[in-house]
Amino acid sequence: MKRNKSVFLSVPYMVWMVIFTLIPLGVVGYYALTDPDTGVFTFDNIKNLSMYLPVLGQSVAYSLVSALICLLLGYPVAYYIAHRQPLTQKILYMLVMLPMCMSFLLRTLAWVGLLQDTGIINNLLGSLGLARVQLIRTPGAVILGMVYNYLPYMILPLYATLVKIDNRLIEAAEDLGCTPLQTFARVVLPLSVPGILSGITMVFVPAVSTFYISQKLGGTDTVLIGDLIERLFKQGDNPNLGAALSLMLMLLVFICTGIMNRFGGDEEGGVIV
Amino acid sequence: MKKMNQWLTVLIFVFLYIPMAVLIVASFNTGKDITQFEGFTFSQYAELFRDEDLLNLLGNSVLIALLSTAISVAFGTLAAVGIHSMKAKMRNVVMNLTNIPMTNPDIVTGVSLSLLFVFVGSGLLGQRESLNFGTLLIAHVTFGLPYVILNVMPKLQQMNPALTDAAMDLGCTPVQAFFKVIIHEIMPGIVAGGIMAFTMSLDDFVISYFVTGSDFVTLPVEIYTYTKKPIHPKVYAMFTLLFALIFILVLAMNLMQIRGEKKRKSDKVDSKGVMIARRVVAAILAVAIAVGCGFLIFGNRREKITLNVKNWGMNMADGTDDTLDLIAAFEEKYPDIDVKMSYYESNEALFSQLSNGGITVDVIIPSDYMIDRMIKENMLLELNYDNIPNFSKVDEQFRNPAFDPENKYTVPYTWGTVGILYNSKYVSEEDVTGWELLWNEKYAGKILMIDNSRDAFGIAQYLLGYDVNTTDKAELQACADKLSQQRPLVQQYVMDQIYSIMENEEAYIAPYYAGDCMIMMENNPDLKFYLPQEQGFNLFTDAMCIPTCCKEKDAAEKFINFLCEPEIAGANMDYICYATPIGEAKEHMEEYLAESEIIYPEEEVLESGTAYAYLSEEISRYVENLYQEATKISASGSQEEESEGSGAVVVALAVMAVAAVLLMMPKKKKPIK
Repeated sequence: MKRNKSVFLSVPYMVWMVIFTLIPLGVVGYYALTDPDTGVFTFDNIKNLSMYLPVLGQSVAYSLVSALICLLLGYPVAYYIAHRQPLTQKILYMLVMLPMCMSFLLRTLAWVGLLQDTGIINNLLGSLGLARVQLIRTPGAVILGMVYNYLPYMILPLYATLVKIDNRLIEAAEDLGCTPLQTFARVVLPLSVPGILSGITMVFVPAVSTFYISQKLGGTDTVLIGDLIERLFKQGDNPNLGAALSLMLMLLVFICTGIMNRFGGDEEGGVIV
Repeated sequence: MKKMNQWLTVLIFVFLYIPMAVLIVASFNTGKDITQFEGFTFSQYAELFRDEDLLNLLGNSVLIALLSTAISVAFGTLAAVGIHSMKAKMRNVVMNLTNIPMTNPDIVTGVSLSLLFVFVGSGLLGQRESLNFGTLLIAHVTFGLPYVILNVMPKLQQMNPALTDAAMDLGCTPVQAFFKVIIHEIMPGIVAGGIMAFTMSLDDFVISYFVTGSDFVTLPVEIYTYTKKPIHPKVYAMFTLLFALIFILVLAMNLMQIRGEKKRKSDKVDSKGVMIARRVVAAILAVAIAVGCGFLIFGNRREKITLNVKNWGMNMADGTDDTLDLIAAFEEKYPDIDVKMSYYESNEALFSQLSNGGITVDVIIPSDYMIDRMIKENMLLELNYDNIPNFSKVDEQFRNPAFDPENKYTVPYTWGTVGILYNSKYVSEEDVTGWELLWNEKYAGKILMIDNSRDAFGIAQYLLGYDVNTTDKAELQACADKLSQQRPLVQQYVMDQIYSIMENEEAYIAPYYAGDCMIMMENNPDLKFYLPQEQGFNLFTDAMCIPTCCKEKDAAEKFINFLCEPEIAGANMDYICYATPIGEAKEHMEEYLAESEIIYPEEEVLESGTAYAYLSEEISRYVENLYQEATKISASGSQEEESEGSGAVVVALAVMAVAAVLLMMPKKKKPIK
């Protein structure tokens, strides 16, 4: 009855989303399949992608490692926050979120100042009489940049699932003779799987497509797929090849998140930030 | 275990906040370098408040964030109500649609929207400025909407459906029921979604970067161009202030929430505070919409003409370091013109931006070979030299250049050479023999390479003894091989970031333009400039032109004329240190610059320099692709695999597409309830 009427309220939204999310993806596909000069249908851009596969592989590897490190670092932090007093929880939550509101470009630039050969850390080492070390322009620096920028995206969903876990379950496990480690492995960890999965997705997706972090913190051999796409659109004057690369990246991300969702079981796990 | 957790948490927070601390400290630094604290000062803050442009950019960011949030909230809340009353199957489909912008990498969303806008705007509708304030707003609303919906939906699901029925039984119309009952129930979700959409919009860089036109730029996008040049510490001052502001806001919000909760516990009645807070939120949104509409209606009807100038970074005196603020001087002379500067990193980047379309640019300053290309591709307008009387001041030898033989399109701006800048503290003189210095393994990791295809290929061509204007693909391939050989030795491929890197001695050797080298040498006396005369070097001319996407040709010509005034040109050269084609200007500039042999080499030296010429579209793209392969993609044999693997890629991509669609499909599951 009235239900059917209010369905129409969502029509403008659906029209909007079709025009501004689905159709643009179609346009990307169109560009990917046409020649930059003549506009004629061609598979050339797609064929050229084979050259870029190592770069794609590298991007995936870096962002997976970053997501894993984020998980290892973020889990204890989220766990710690989830077991504080409500007021402390709020403050800590805010402190995790706060860096996300500030320009990530400038924060990444600050890392350049910290890590470079003549940077703050190396100057400190130098004044202590220690040998300077090569920190910047290494794969490690790129991963550090990713972990730094996207760690909050891991902590927040983890926290959201951990805080929902009923404390009585943990008490029950302890009453039944579980060691703390067993309680964690058998009760807490399985219950936090949705948070883990959504955290990994939320770190992986921006990390695999980043172009600023690798430009600033990486060396000449840590070029990522995002760098190439940006370059093709903004300097290389080849939006068609850029579109083909974007298409490949998009499919990769959809497959990865799709698999994650399958694993996740309940869709409710997806906590957004 | 618990202790360990605690320490780890502390460490992580230190990790999260160290870079912020670095930036905050840098905002109080007297020096410009982020790594060296030279003394305490507040002057960066004073500089910040004197910089109208920067404050305007911030205003732009806030405006777009408020507007897009208001639209997303209104649209999204309605949509959520609609989606909520759908049948489960339909709901799943729509929620999947909602998830697309959430899952899609930002860069793909940005690229896809910009392609759509340009494709429809410039391609189908013949719009000149297909990227503009409106498209930016659309993009922000598009990524803001899902946040609102995903926050409102759970609240609707939690709501007792009997509430609506009760309201309607008591005589409410559906609309009244919505405003009197439903909206109160879902308010926390609306607020949470609105805040998320707002913060995401305020700090969005990647998507905005691709859909920004020339009329409206936000702060994060401009910060990106800042980080490509030596960055002024006033930017750190702004960061610090914003940080403090957001910190206080978030803290206040949390405290209010906590107090509200306590109150709710003591007296169950909806407190006045919450009512007031709601009204305040509503008022802010209303004002935002009003301001936004006002901006749209009146903003475009400003009396002033906006002149969009696109220039190289650091290529026009801007008032820093006691130089003339050229733009301010121009605006003083012509009060009805408002100059807006934007920047490009290389000729190729400029060409790409113009040919991608969608933007308005009135004046550009590309180099010779690119001008030639633009003329051939009909991208430039003929100038009306009656409006540029100062053209007469241009020295005879710079008129009718090869790239514009009849001198119909250009007025020369600067000229110069490309040579090698090296640090004599670390580089021994005997190694400085020619371009091969850039391939010297002794300095591996301390060599910078210029980051644009033409200059990089030029250097390889001089080294290998080829003609710089060769179109022989075998020779070009050999150059590419030479460049990819160099890659392991190269620290970074840079353009204007070179300044701080060379001055701080982070790198020791770099090829760059003589004028810029001159500035760096003033800042670090160990730096020296070397011109490989025997092998040859590039002699370039940058000239001012008006592209076809120009809107204000008269003002553009006034601007060009202004820059040719000898006093102005002289003062300008004091800042950029390039060579001027206007002889008279030398009387108006610092003597040591006018007499410098680095800037104005002797005739016989200049004879070994050559200019780049435009080759052809095909060769340009060929070179660009070779350059990208040589410097960006792993060197290990890509050529052979290409032919074998290419067919497979098409198939693989098709398989991926099918897999992605299948995975996105809703899972078969038991219907809920």
